[in-house]
Amino acid sequence: MQMRKGFTMKDLNLMVAGPQGSGINFTSDTFSKVMARLGYYVFSNAELFSTIKGEHSYFRVRVSDELIRSYSKRVDILIALDSKSIILHKDEVDNNGFIITEEKPLDSRFIQVEYNKILQNVANKYNKNLSELSVMKNTIALAVVGKIASIPKDAIQKVISENFAKRPNIAELNNAVVDETYSITKIERSITLPKGKSFGKMLINTAEAVAIGKIAAGLRFQSYYPITPASDESQYLEGVMSKYNVIVEQTEDEIAAINMAIAAANTGLRAATSTSGPGFSLMVEALSYAGMTETPVVIFYYQRAGPSTGMPTRHEQGDLKFAISAGHGEFPRIVIAPGDHEEAFYDAFESFNLAEKYQLPVIVMLDKSMAMSNYTIPKFDTSKLKIDRGKLILEGEVSNYKRYAFTEDGISPRTVPGVKNGMFTIAGDEHEEDGHIFSEDPDNRIRMMDKRMGKLKKVLSEIPTDMKYKFYGNGENLIISWGSPKGAILDAIRERPEYSYLQIRLLHPFPVDEVKPFAKYKRIVTVEQNYSGQLADILKEDAGIDVNSRIVKFNGRPIAFEELIEGLDRSKTERRVVLTYA
Amino acid sequence: MPNTYRTNVEIDWCPGCGDFGILNALTLALQELKIPNEKVALTGGIGCSSKIPHYVNVYAYHTLHGRSLAQAQAIKIANPELEVIAAAGDGDALGIGTQHFVAAGRRNVDLTYLIFDNGVYGLTKGQASPTLPYGESPKSLQVENIKDPVNPIFLALASGYTFVARSYSYNIKHLKDTIIRAIKHKGLALVDIMQPCVTYNNINTKEYYDARLYDLQKEGWDPVAKNEDEYKQKLGQATIKSLEWGDKIPMGVFIEYQKETYDERLSRLLMNYKSKNFVTLPIHENGKPVNDITPLIEELI
Repeated sequence: MQMRKGFTMKDLNLMVAGPQGSGINFTSDTFSKVMARLGYYVFSNAELFSTIKGEHSYFRVRVSDELIRSYSKRVDILIALDSKSIILHKDEVDNNGFIITEEKPLDSRFIQVEYNKILQNVANKYNKNLSELSVMKNTIALAVVGKIASIPKDAIQKVISENFAKRPNIAELNNAVVDETYSITKIERSITLPKGKSFGKMLINTAEAVAIGKIAAGLRFQSYYPITPASDESQYLEGVMSKYNVIVEQTEDEIAAINMAIAAANTGLRAATSTSGPGFSLMVEALSYAGMTETPVVIFYYQRAGPSTGMPTRHEQGDLKFAISAGHGEFPRIVIAPGDHEEAFYDAFESFNLAEKYQLPVIVMLDKSMAMSNYTIPKFDTSKLKIDRGKLILEGEVSNYKRYAFTEDGISPRTVPGVKNGMFTIAGDEHEEDGHIFSEDPDNRIRMMDKRMGKLKKVLSEIPTDMKYKFYGNGENLIISWGSPKGAILDAIRERPEYSYLQIRLLHPFPVDEVKPFAKYKRIVTVEQNYSGQLADILKEDAGIDVNSRIVKFNGRPIAFEELIEGLDRSKTERRVVLTYA
Repeated sequence: MPNTYRTNVEIDWCPGCGDFGILNALTLALQELKIPNEKVALTGGIGCSSKIPHYVNVYAYHTLHGRSLAQAQAIKIANPELEVIAAAGDGDALGIGTQHFVAAGRRNVDLTYLIFDNGVYGLTKGQASPTLPYGESPKSLQVENIKDPVNPIFLALASGYTFVARSYSYNIKHLKDTIIRAIKHKGLALVDIMQPCVTYNNINTKEYYDARLYDLQKEGWDPVAKNEDEYKQKLGQATIKSLEWGDKIPMGVFIEYQKETYDERLSRLLMNYKSKNFVTLPIHENGKPVNDITPLIEELI
């Protein structure tokens, strides 16, 4: 194997692999933060088992001085914290790459690190037992990476100090480990990255982006039942609930979660619940109730690999058709899908405006890959955020009030308890304008159905274009997709500029008029992370667009941009392309 | 004095239905307590009984089957200034909604929970409900009831309800007084109301209950526990009383124990919860969000 001694590379790909629960996320998170601080773009993602301790897991971190939005198949540095990680991943490591391990080197990529010696030296210095320091192996691995990638030592130590701000003694020990590692580990080759030049970005995942978007929107009530990968968002909210006046209620199940959110919404609070497929399945009866009762409730739907329990910690976009059609009877809903963390923030914010303006349930489609990938994005621009609560009456007095009054625009004024003479009757039975249910009058039924379903037309005519779709590139062929494949698609079409990209954002009501004109593209392919190509079906059903090829991936892992490039090439001759990289 | 707590909606219960007594007792209780109509939220589930929100002139939430209590708790949590009353049938409360029944005991939200308990699913023509005694076969059943009943009093005591009572829809005075006491109780108050279904349950009838119900308080049972030790002691005795069923059925208050309510506990997690009403606390000023997310953004840089 020909090795290069010290070279500059465009992007650096780190993989941290080891048993779950051994702290490997500490290494990747800290490295991500260090590199983001140094002005690089960072993209990281996690592959975990649905266990807490022991099973093999790995994190990837991709770093570049240029904008990146997806992960790469290439691994430049592998931190292998056990021998299983070497067996599983050594072939993925580039010929010029590095494998950081405690074990005997198998080839020239290996760097054998003297973990115990480093820890013993630090233990002696601080008069500690070696066993107290054994958890700091991750810190050693991180420092070795730092040395290979020519990262200034103090950049790492600063982030470690911040991580352990509440436990300065731990910070000091970890930083001593960094010093010791830098001083005694011999590195024969190194990597130099072009200088980072983009500073002040956030390193964030979708769970955080959504939570912050909700706080900006004035969320007052969040109910949830623990479920992967949705609970991180609720836990984030719990951390700041006091400061931002958000009631976060962990319920006995998802049925209670959605019903509580609905009741809180009808009592005047901005209310939401966050869940995944199994939880959403339990919420469906109440979703239909929210449609019937014209309740502004927002559901954040973090998809994961199904069906049934499926693969709880793995990625999939398998619930599109379910989300747009779940629930008995016909009722209006809005389903939107952000494609990255920035959109997740703005959509989370806007979803409450939509829910309250049109008085209907809104579903925001997210997924595991978004929830568990941290990457750098610009700071949120709060200057344009505007709250619109629609026809909501929170205080004072009204007269001749009817909750479901017929109005010119189909939206009825909404009171809340406390408003004098504003007493409403909310009912999931078909009701008359006053909310009472006893006539079952056929003409009233028609008017009420028209009133509710008419909102969809209103949504389509009023919602801004970039919430319906976004368009990228200028190739003569077209990729159509929705949600999280966005990053891999944008990275892939840089290499295949003959493709343009249509990102559909509003999935229900489907923006047929806007989408139809795209049928003129020479060749159209869809990219989705599900088995059948659900968006492709909808394109056919709603817009009459027959796509030339469906690129799908359903092995539980997100798309690497290189495999998408190969997939695009294959789509010229194959009607269905299954991506399989893992 | 006119009853200002009744709507003018025509009632569609069967003539002679036990539900009428509950409606009367509830509206009389509200009248007596003089709680402004707009400060009351009343939830119902699905079933004959759960239509009651339509008949009471307050903020009325006609929810889903089994979800009356779940929604009622959220209403009170959202706005603790409201007087919240949840109505449910026995199927609602103890069949499809059992998880909420148990979980509610853990929270002790300050609300009143009225169970219209008649042993059958009336609106679907009289199937056995979770409270129908074992072996009883009202005329509406196709086959004998081979399941044991849930004991709502026992379950409520075990789940941590801080006020547990049984009353009777044909004894309006007792029912009204019990509802008033339940509303005044700070914490989760259950009133399990014996409510004969005149159409489908020909066993647990007015005659059946008239002959069996006796008043615990008239027999000298003091349900009030003043501290935790007394609560534990009385809980044991109340539990034994809750098992009485047959020739003699106790009604009245089994336990009444004042402890920290859920809104008091929540105010430990939310510094402004006690001092501000979250419904009227503005979230924007002319559209501009009130919440400043800058510190959250800075943490991520």
